[in-house]
Amino acid sequence: MNLGITRVVSSLVGLVWIVTAAYAGEVPMFEAKVSAGELPPVAERLPLEPMIVDYVAENKTAGKYGGDMRILMGKAKDTRQMAVYSYARLVGYGPDFILKPDIAKSFQVNEGREFTFTLRKGHKWSDGHPLTSEDFRYFWEDMVQHPELGRKGVPTDMLVDGEEPTFEVIDELSFKYTWSKPNPAFLPALAGASPLYIYRPAHYMKQFHTKYTDPDKLAEMAAEAEAKDWTALHTRKQRQRRAENPDLPTLQAWWNRTAPPSTRFVFERNPFYHRVDPDGNQLPYIDNVIMNIVSKDVIPAKAGTGEADLQARYLRFDHIPFLKQGEANGKFRTLLWNLGRGSQVALFPNLNAADPVWRELNRDVRFRRALSLGINRDEINESIYFGLAQPSANTVLPESKFHRSEYANAWTAHDPAKANSILDEIGLEKRDGDGTRLLPNGARLEITVESAGESTEETDVLELISAHMRDIGVKMFVRASQRDIFRRRANSGETVMSVFNGLDNGVPSADMSPQELAPTAQPQLQWPQWGQYNETGGKAGEKVDMDAAETQLVLYNKWMIAPDMEKKTEIWHEMLKNYTDQVFTIGTVNNSKQPVVVSADLRNVPEEAVYSWEPTSYFGAYRPDTFWFDR
Amino acid sequence: MLGYILKRFLYMIPTLVLTSMLVFFLIELPPGDYFESYVNELIAAGETIDPKQIEFLRAEYGFDRPVWERYWIWATGMLVGDFGYSFEYELPVREVIGDRLIFTIIVTFFTIIFTWLIAFPIGIYSATHQYSWGDYGLTFLGLLGLATPNFLLALIMMYLANQWFGTAIGGLMDPEFVDKPFSFAKFMSVMEHLWIPVIVIGTSGTAAMIRRVRANLLDELRKPYVTTARAKGVPEFKGLMKYPFRMSLNFFIADIGSVLPQVISGAEIVAIVLSLETTGPLLIQALQSQDMYLAGSFLMLLAFLTVIGVLISDIALGFLDPRIRLQGGVSR
Repeated sequence: MNLGITRVVSSLVGLVWIVTAAYAGEVPMFEAKVSAGELPPVAERLPLEPMIVDYVAENKTAGKYGGDMRILMGKAKDTRQMAVYSYARLVGYGPDFILKPDIAKSFQVNEGREFTFTLRKGHKWSDGHPLTSEDFRYFWEDMVQHPELGRKGVPTDMLVDGEEPTFEVIDELSFKYTWSKPNPAFLPALAGASPLYIYRPAHYMKQFHTKYTDPDKLAEMAAEAEAKDWTALHTRKQRQRRAENPDLPTLQAWWNRTAPPSTRFVFERNPFYHRVDPDGNQLPYIDNVIMNIVSKDVIPAKAGTGEADLQARYLRFDHIPFLKQGEANGKFRTLLWNLGRGSQVALFPNLNAADPVWRELNRDVRFRRALSLGINRDEINESIYFGLAQPSANTVLPESKFHRSEYANAWTAHDPAKANSILDEIGLEKRDGDGTRLLPNGARLEITVESAGESTEETDVLELISAHMRDIGVKMFVRASQRDIFRRRANSGETVMSVFNGLDNGVPSADMSPQELAPTAQPQLQWPQWGQYNETGGKAGEKVDMDAAETQLVLYNKWMIAPDMEKKTEIWHEMLKNYTDQVFTIGTVNNSKQPVVVSADLRNVPEEAVYSWEPTSYFGAYRPDTFWFDR
Repeated sequence: MLGYILKRFLYMIPTLVLTSMLVFFLIELPPGDYFESYVNELIAAGETIDPKQIEFLRAEYGFDRPVWERYWIWATGMLVGDFGYSFEYELPVREVIGDRLIFTIIVTFFTIIFTWLIAFPIGIYSATHQYSWGDYGLTFLGLLGLATPNFLLALIMMYLANQWFGTAIGGLMDPEFVDKPFSFAKFMSVMEHLWIPVIVIGTSGTAAMIRRVRANLLDELRKPYVTTARAKGVPEFKGLMKYPFRMSLNFFIADIGSVLPQVISGAEIVAIVLSLETTGPLLIQALQSQDMYLAGSFLMLLAFLTVIGVLISDIALGFLDPRIRLQGGVSR
């Protein structure tokens, strides 16, 4: 009965859509191919119910077809960025950071542990083959569960306390994943900038799979491609993120047509893409995205002379004057987007420091607060960021729904007198001849801040902070290192304090994981050992032995099983409050600017936006498929 | 002669084996491996990766095996033309290097020609007009080229070329030609970009070349046979070119040994600044990211060409100058 109604409704919707479809024009680039019969007309290429981008809510204008968009990348493996920018996901975020169906027509979550997805009828891969439940089954049964291909193990986000989901195909277009306990990580992982791809083009991949192809023939193919065996060949052919294989069908807006190695990759529009504008015109508007791989050091210079139509990667704050200067000649605009980090430059006192004196001091919340109070953030903002950033603790940005001034202002007012009295109170009142305080063991209070040695911005900020620290009797040195060594030293506790950028996701919503606020991963520089312990399930690292950090971990675990958004929001706030009040990391300023070079005639690029990996996928959430050239 | 060449070939084997060990273990020496720096690079960009994935990749590429075993696989693979796999490019090393070799050869070829065209006339002039204003002036110019930092010169010329002629910044051709088949327009675009690296790399080599031509030629000019020739009335130019100049070229032939590896390595720093699609930046990037088979195989290729180059120049010297003896030993 129920099914019957759905069928009637969907056929009605189909009917309505066919009527409107009459207005949608053919994509000029494909006109010749369509009239030659090589491609079906646009109405047959689109899903019956395409995803209609809400132009009113997203403040966009209907565009024109055509044009090539040039972007610059610094490394061969940066071809990965294309899957980040085009951002077609099973479910994904829009500019409002709310999770919505995208490739999926709809999804349903039951008790946080049953996930049912329904695909769009008539949705096709870029080679015209239908997208069905089979593509999802192929990934789960023939890849993850396969004894040889599955050696990689089940993706972490598909495990709840080590338990795998049961996968069930309901019909050709719908399927279900079920766990016995809630899995809050699942949907955000599907929507990630580097998402969990739970589907593969089965019709294409089967030719590389022993289950469907003769093993001898596969061995031959593998040898020819210089792959170790058929699994290596399969792995190489199926890459979704680094989609360099020009034969691999995709669901993204553009697909690569250039076989590597090359220094120029041409991504051509996907004729079967599933999104349309409100007038029913198939997206994307732009015909080709051209990715030129150049040395990353010349990218600012190239962008500044108008050799890119959309460029943010490899551009930094200190390039802004140069870029502004080139605008008229290069026919581009420089937009200043907000960097989505919790803090542009943050200090990480290592709570797992090997030296017992330092470990104890770093774990004393009063010490961390005193250091934070000693920093003059206004001066940093004025002299390094032209006053364009905002002094803040390492916390969410004002754009976030979770923003509260008590978090941003926690222990951030510049108050050397108070900092001094706190430090005296801790028992650091003895001073050396030059006013530097002495540690309980008689050594001078000299902090060596280690950096990954990559940005002059960090060094500049640290130079100011060292000057501020002198006023509170703390001597600070900077030691530039190299990325790998920097990580190793922090992990082993040799580092007392390190400098890095703050929270990666400054605009979270309740369904995104608060894992950055709790000791959950080894790369967290303030507690690498505790992070590693929880990441590896206790196989490596140390158990958390500090109450304040333990509280965060308990809250995080509560979030994992929280039944609804209200509860999750509440937990987020509690964690943010603790995190800033405890000053686990010492923030400086946030909302610093990311220069975005945009061709003068490129439309629909938001003037102001947040630039970050998660949740905006850099440009992805602002939908580059709706960008168009006004030429 | 034949026995000599054969012996030299046999000597090459232990040399190359030792080099390959040195190369492999030096690349292996820094802490960590490609996958560790890969993860750290992702973290630095705010990205995340499943640690399980990395463990899998390590095992997949044999990084869980002992160093010796990996060296053996790599070294024996090279004998049959399998140079290993580049992690950075996700491609067999041969394909990655092969793609860039042709442009490197073009750039270096033109650079060498440029250097010769400038250095030989100046060197000869300086030697024949020793301590004249011309000698000082031209030598000064040459040294100026040597003393100016290459990367700076490259940046300045790149900027000026862009401002004055509208040449696209960096690269060896305008981007739209990269994948196009060879055509006249593409050729012109290459020419438009090529002169900058050729001049920049060329100027740095010119000074050294000038000084060597000058010094070797001066040695010859002071010898009695030149005076004799002059006394017998041999015309000045013929007297210069026929004997002294030819004799002074020994150093030049000996240089061929180093030219060969240079042809394919290109000038790394300049190539990075100018964003040339040559092998230099490839090598540096591979070393930075510990993409060890790419870096190792490329270094081995350089070592091989050096050995071959030295052999060629030794043989050529033997043919050109009968005074050079093939067998070593103390003269009695």
